[in-house]
Amino acid sequence: MNEQWRLLQTGFNTAATNMAIDRAVLVTNSEGKVPPTVRFYAWEPPAISIGYFQSITEEVDLDACKAHGVEYVRRITGGGAVFHEAELTYSIIIPESHPQIPKNIMESYGRICGAVIKGLGELGIESKYVPINDIIAYGKKISGNAQTRKARTVLQHGTVLTDVDVDKMFSLLKVPNEKIKDKLIADVKQRVTSIKHILEKDIPFEKVAQAMRAGFEEEFNIELVKGELTEEEIALTQKFEKECFGAKDWNYRR
Amino acid sequence: MQAKSVYKVPNGKLLKIILDYDEKNNSVNEIRITGDFFAYPEETIEIMENELKNTVLERTPLLEKIQSSIKEHNIQFIGLHAEGLTEGILMCKP
Repeated sequence: MNEQWRLLQTGFNTAATNMAIDRAVLVTNSEGKVPPTVRFYAWEPPAISIGYFQSITEEVDLDACKAHGVEYVRRITGGGAVFHEAELTYSIIIPESHPQIPKNIMESYGRICGAVIKGLGELGIESKYVPINDIIAYGKKISGNAQTRKARTVLQHGTVLTDVDVDKMFSLLKVPNEKIKDKLIADVKQRVTSIKHILEKDIPFEKVAQAMRAGFEEEFNIELVKGELTEEEIALTQKFEKECFGAKDWNYRR
Repeated sequence: MQAKSVYKVPNGKLLKIILDYDEKNNSVNEIRITGDFFAYPEETIEIMENELKNTVLERTPLLEKIQSSIKEHNIQFIGLHAEGLTEGILMCKP
């Protein structure tokens, strides 16, 4: 019988709640209270997340976010700013010592991205992992990924773009040089793709989640069993939402 | 004196340095190392920022300080390295 991992489908949540849930599960998993967990989720309202090392005031046009009703949050993972609107976001939380997870960080990115690649394959999309942290399909980026390791536990989360609006994204992000903004937008449009763009039709979130579930099960040779957050995880989520991801101290720290 | 730099690390990520430096002594007062790179454990970046205070803004002392910080705190960079970080800091100066 295949090893069983937990599947969480937490639907649409605010930016602070989404990041708080990932961190809550990182805590409970590190304490051996819950099995390895794969989670699929989305963002409502849309939000920008920035990497741990980024400065929110350097990266994000906060006035534009307010005007568009877009939230913002700083992640516990490194990497770049991401506009979360039309996408499936996944996370995987698993002990560093698990035999399925390479000890080497770069190798583990590749392994986990393998699950997303197989998931995209379920939808008929060929893709490949491109280090450091991207998945590309037909030469264009369709997924960005970011990993942290804390308390001997791996948390990797990433996006699978179902659609993309590069103009809107750049209306919310600051660029280092305004003079080249138009060129930058044109470049990014050439370099980014989505499930909708490739398949030329809208694929419902549920169908993308089904495909990703199959991708994770196949890559890791496991069975994902639908579960819920534990009471402790719900309490931790509320705590992290309030004290961390919903707090100025955290989001404006850098 | 306040200064900033934006530096695309060769084969790496986009590094953005925010620096406050002492013009007379040519040394770091405060530094913030930002960007879309990865560093493990993440929290060590703030330790490194603290350790860079008062370092002379020249290639050799900066590189040595960064390398000793990496070694002492067992920092693993992805998309960034000591040489790239040194270059980004030096680019803050006119």
